Amino acid sequence: MPRALVIEDDEVTARDIVAELSAHGLTAEWVANGRDGLTRALADGYDIITLDRMLPGMDGIDIVSALRERRIDTPVLMISALSDVDERVRGLRAGGDDYLTKPFSPDELAARAEVLLRRRRPAANETRLRVADLELDLVRHNALRGGQPLTLLPTEFRLLEFLMRNAGQVVTRQMIFEHVWGFHFDPGTNVIDVHIGRLRRKIDGTGQAPLIRTVRGSGYLLAPAD
Amino acid sequence: MDRGISLRPLTDAWRSATSRLILIYGALFAIWCVVLLGVVQWEASRYLSRVVDQMLVARIHYLEGTDARNLPDTVATASAVDVQGFMRVGLFDAHGRRVAGNIARVPDELSEDGTVTSVKAMLVDASRDTPMRARGITRELPDGRRLVVIKDSTTIDGLGAIIRRGLLWGLSLTLIPGVLGGVLIARGPARRIRAIQQAMEPIREGDLSVRLPVSRGGDEVDLLAATVNTTLGEIERLLGEVKGVSDNIAHDLRTPLTRMRTRLYRLQQQFAETPEGDQLEACVAEIDTVLGRFRALLRVSELEDRQRSACFEELDIGAVLRNVHDFYAPLAEDRGQAFEIRLDKLPPLRGDPQLMFEAFANLVGNAIKFTPDGGAVRLVATTDAAGDARIDIADTGPGIPEGEREAVFRRFYRGDETRTKPGCGLGLAIVSAIVRLHGYSLSVGGDEKGAVFSVTCPPVVSS
Repeated sequence: MPRALVIEDDEVTARDIVAELSAHGLTAEWVANGRDGLTRALADGYDIITLDRMLPGMDGIDIVSALRERRIDTPVLMISALSDVDERVRGLRAGGDDYLTKPFSPDELAARAEVLLRRRRPAANETRLRVADLELDLVRHNALRGGQPLTLLPTEFRLLEFLMRNAGQVVTRQMIFEHVWGFHFDPGTNVIDVHIGRLRRKIDGTGQAPLIRTVRGSGYLLAPAD
Repeated sequence: MDRGISLRPLTDAWRSATSRLILIYGALFAIWCVVLLGVVQWEASRYLSRVVDQMLVARIHYLEGTDARNLPDTVATASAVDVQGFMRVGLFDAHGRRVAGNIARVPDELSEDGTVTSVKAMLVDASRDTPMRARGITRELPDGRRLVVIKDSTTIDGLGAIIRRGLLWGLSLTLIPGVLGGVLIARGPARRIRAIQQAMEPIREGDLSVRLPVSRGGDEVDLLAATVNTTLGEIERLLGEVKGVSDNIAHDLRTPLTRMRTRLYRLQQQFAETPEGDQLEACVAEIDTVLGRFRALLRVSELEDRQRSACFEELDIGAVLRNVHDFYAPLAEDRGQAFEIRLDKLPPLRGDPQLMFEAFANLVGNAIKFTPDGGAVRLVATTDAAGDARIDIADTGPGIPEGEREAVFRRFYRGDETRTKPGCGLGLAIVSAIVRLHGYSLSVGGDEKGAVFSVTCPPVVSS
């Protein structure tokens, strides 16, 4: 079972995080201050760390920098009340892998944690992605469904690549917007849904088992049909 | 951007008001001088002519008193002495023929009752004599002869001329420097009014941190400026308080709302595919809407509080716009709208591409939202006459009425036409904040056939 370290000084938030990660099958341990957090993170091999940006004793940025300096590449999900893009950039530059703004919904946290966990496991330099009979060639930039080539626009290709890299995981609209378009504000409309809808029409043709599923109130999931 | 009355004509009006005051004052001064000198001249000539008259009366009285037989000689002697013709004397017989003296004939204007009258005297030697203004008196002697004495009164006119010349010199020596000085003195306040007006410019644009210049003089203008400054400070404080309150509400309610959303979401998952589940899903969606609004509200504040970043990078606005087009094209297509993008060659700009994407995404999102199905949205970037990059987002929606054009950039403002559409009226406030952060300008135009939002970006001046 993957192990998670939760470094968070607010008890209520910490409990939420621990509960949510446990619900997703992780063993979560909670540390309330930065110094202990760093010691634990250095000593034990965790699979993922959630790290509050502002902690008593030691700043979250310092902790993640210290980890990366010692070549510990455990995925770090930074959690902060500071929503400004500049803060996000600082957190990611220091070595954080993702950045979540408080208050967050637990499923957003879980989705991001799972994406980070999964990202760690397979080798990053894959050239082909495959989910059921859907294939994506990252080198030749083409896509096949059941052996039939699909005509995808560049954006659709990037969107499909993101969904396939995280196949079997729920990805939220915000995550899609961040990863596929690279922006961090709230697009506020149903634009992401429209993009997914078009991609869905292209890959889930008539008579084929649908691969992209909508998870109500949360996001999307690309997975082989059960 | 159409912002109502411009302040610029005010200076001209003010300056013309000053000039008008100076001119009116100058004219009153000149009239007063003329009246004053007129009175002086009138008094002086009255006095002089009284003196002349007394001399004439005294003279004729003296001549009357001399021996009647010696009279022709006396007259001849007197007139011989009077080479200049100042006090002419004439003795005439009963038929009006000259007996002695240097007066050619009896002037008609002379009064028989022995008072002095003005005459146009024509005198003995017509060749070297021109008619002149004079005063004259006549007496008929008991023997029927007639005695006439005429005194040249041009000295009085001469005095008048001297006074008039004095007036002219006096006026030009006082009025010209006076008016020039007035204009120069008035320029000081005009400059200060202009400075105040320039200081007001950013305040009109909404920057309440600016204060009006106050000089050390402490005069009325300074008092007024100081009062305005105090008022501005108070308005800024109050606005800050209001904004702070709404931000705090948004900020504090986010956490409980997020927790509530989590609980509802978990319930909804338990009751999936049931009518209760659908209700719960609707609740989650409502909470998401509220959270979205709070996020937008805090985003506006965050952007407004941000200082203009010194580390703006070189901005490829064309790439940003292509991204926005790419992002929104499917939505427009779903609505059957023609979504066109046209990019001309643009000047180099500096800015934050993330923020610019956010701004244009909001503008394009709005355009698509308010354009009916089958309409058209155009995204056009050109370089305008001034060399600025100008990006127009034009739609074929209902347009924005003239009266609402300024208000649409305010937080929470929603026009009558748009109240029925989803949204919170914060999108344009975000756009406005981003545009201001970059030192660009945002305006709205168009007509009832569609709105046009324009962002004008002054290029980077290469040093």
